[in-house]
Amino acid sequence: MNRIKKRLTILNAVIEAMIKSPETVKYPFGDLTLPEGYRGKIEFDPDKCSGCGLCVRDCPAEALHLNKKSREEYTLLYYPARCAYCGQCEDSCRHGAISHSNKLVGATTHKDDWVLVFKDSKASQE
Amino acid sequence: MIRSVFNLLVFPGFIFLVLSGLTFEWLDRKFLARFQRRVGPPWYQPLADLIKLFSKEDLLPKNVNDFLAALLPLVSLAAVLTAGLYVPIAGYKAFSFEGDLIVIIFLMSVPTLAYYLAGIISLGIYSVLGGGRSLLQFFSYEVPLLIALSGPAILGGSWSVSSIMTSQGNLGSFILFQPLGFVLAVVGLIGKLKRDPFDIPKAKSEVVGGSLTEFSGPTLGFWNLVMDIQAVIGIFLLIDLYFGWTKMSHPSLSIIIFIIECLILVLILSGTSAIFARLRIDQLAGLGWRILVPLALLQLGFIILMGI
Amino acid sequence: MDKISIPIGPQHPLLKEPLSMMVDIAGEKVLGGSLRLGYVHRGIERLAQQRTYVQNVHLIERICGICSHVHTTAYCYAVEALLGIEIPPRAQYIRALMCELERIHSHLLWLGILAKHIGLETIFMHTWHDREMALDIMEEISGGRVSHAANQIGGVRFDLDEEHGDMIRGILKKLHSQVDGLLDIIETEPAAIARTKGVAPISSDLIKAYGVVGPVARASGVDIDLRRDAPLPPYDKLQVKVVTHPGGDAWARTYVRAEETRVSLNLCEKILEDLPEGDVSLRTPRRVPEGEVIIRSEAPRGELFYYLRSDGSDKPARLKVRTPTLAALSLLPVQLAEINVADIPVVLAGVDLCIACADR
Repeated sequence: MNRIKKRLTILNAVIEAMIKSPETVKYPFGDLTLPEGYRGKIEFDPDKCSGCGLCVRDCPAEALHLNKKSREEYTLLYYPARCAYCGQCEDSCRHGAISHSNKLVGATTHKDDWVLVFKDSKASQE
Repeated sequence: MIRSVFNLLVFPGFIFLVLSGLTFEWLDRKFLARFQRRVGPPWYQPLADLIKLFSKEDLLPKNVNDFLAALLPLVSLAAVLTAGLYVPIAGYKAFSFEGDLIVIIFLMSVPTLAYYLAGIISLGIYSVLGGGRSLLQFFSYEVPLLIALSGPAILGGSWSVSSIMTSQGNLGSFILFQPLGFVLAVVGLIGKLKRDPFDIPKAKSEVVGGSLTEFSGPTLGFWNLVMDIQAVIGIFLLIDLYFGWTKMSHPSLSIIIFIIECLILVLILSGTSAIFARLRIDQLAGLGWRILVPLALLQLGFIILMGI
Repeated sequence: MDKISIPIGPQHPLLKEPLSMMVDIAGEKVLGGSLRLGYVHRGIERLAQQRTYVQNVHLIERICGICSHVHTTAYCYAVEALLGIEIPPRAQYIRALMCELERIHSHLLWLGILAKHIGLETIFMHTWHDREMALDIMEEISGGRVSHAANQIGGVRFDLDEEHGDMIRGILKKLHSQVDGLLDIIETEPAAIARTKGVAPISSDLIKAYGVVGPVARASGVDIDLRRDAPLPPYDKLQVKVVTHPGGDAWARTYVRAEETRVSLNLCEKILEDLPEGDVSLRTPRRVPEGEVIIRSEAPRGELFYYLRSDGSDKPARLKVRTPTLAALSLLPVQLAEINVADIPVVLAGVDLCIACADR
């Protein structure tokens, strides 16, 4: 008897699947809920950045680049295509300037989006 | 004359069979998707696939006979379409003569043989393997299928599908007398259509694409069409032989019942492909000859005893 | 009958990762086969020597797409051993939790692939749906679905709260009933049993001779499991039940993996229950003192071996990884003799190859 019940498990699963609605998430057309802590698109707060370069040193994918002329004068560049979204920069930053949002990373069609200027100290002073 | 042309081209000929074949493919894929918790394709997907394949280039390996490669699916298509003319659909018989059941069964085997030949001529390793397997499979399911299908013929006292169908009006549906025969016929049909669990000749993980590995473009499109039409004709045939034609007060009610019967068979076909694993070719041969054939003979003996 | 060779790979519907096999067949019988590897060699061991210890955590994670966490766990334990520190117990438990979740999702993935290869596509879809639940847990707590980036040198990068615990317990309960159903199907589905039972059985002697580890060895009756035999920190406090089966064939491996999934589910619940209070990470120096260390850890596919040598700088002098798949691969040509062509997928799936791990 138990064996027959076990034998019917697959039939049960199939019928259950037929009755329930499909599990597919129709993402671009439907809703997709990402968890709070999802490591998605990187957000940057230029006011908090001190230009220490810790994030650049720890980035495993070399997606961050610092052109430093002096303590005050520097540009921080970010290459999204290289980024592995590992979250190391967020951990390394002591001032909390870099953080992950839980937004998905979209594709880019524009060449200028391949390099993002996170902070240009000259521009912010002017 | 006009009626014959209409029969050949529109109903139950070319256009109707193609459309119902595509509908069958969509229903099958949709059911399977829902069994697997997926969404499944939209209704126009099989047609879109077909149009895409017909608009593509026909690529074949070197040294393959192009003419034969193009001819084989056309011959199979012609065979299944001809078979479709003799199968009464929704009680409407276009052509019929005494003994057309035998002709239908013969015409339905043509695609299998052509499939084997397609594997052999296309010179690929996987194609040859798949072709050989399809022939081995043919010998395993064809005998029980034939024995099972002769049950309704004996019970109806005729080898014509339409008279078997009409005789059920007086005797009652034949599925009541031979449920075992119906099951065997469905199993045989699954084998004929090379569907899971008997999709041995085209098992993706073993022989890549089977006989059709090397085919592309319109040739492959015709092959897909042949498989779909073969499936609907098989379904119509089983309904004619085992359910008969239910006469209701209004003809449209009868047609609705016919469509429901079709849907039930599609559901059975999709369901079996969802819940069974693929057999090995030696296991299939064992199943065919050790289990299905004795069962079919048992059913046949029972029917003959009933006739006496 | 004439002997012909059929190529399986580097591209074949059977394979999810590139591997080249030439299989000699005569009719439907397989006579033997040979292997070619190295299609996904990325030079990770050499790359690791050029990056700092901190960067390497993320590099090591990308050795494998399935068992990514256990790789970083072994690496982090190795670095911490060289540094001479012991991470907080809470971090150890969270690491173990992630390892067990990873085992669950790896085994479910494997079951699905086997089902797909024998033509049981419904089970493939259903197991992969269940596996997604385990991935959901990991995404929720660590932020990444496959690359979790959960480990850092000195601990883990996130903490669990009560809400997480409730969520995990709820999903684990659901998974429990799903895995029970899967076991029922494995035990009773006649076609699946016919396809897997008695296919290319391996004796325990052969397993020992080839040094095969993990579920493949346990399915041949070899009783080894590093979680019990040489446990890394949290496992010495958890009693791990080791599942073995004397069969040695594909069915036995299916059974062992399905049972192990169940054991892992129980372990996850136990870890959540026993989770100690405290910090989850320590601050560590960037430079690692000179020395060398060997760490062994039980990955979903068996024993994972890490050798790390430091010369006192902030970059490793040598990192050697030995993955369990390599031993299983060497056994493959032996298994290929005297089977049916239709059994090739079953044999290939049975050893649960992770080519990316083996090639690195």
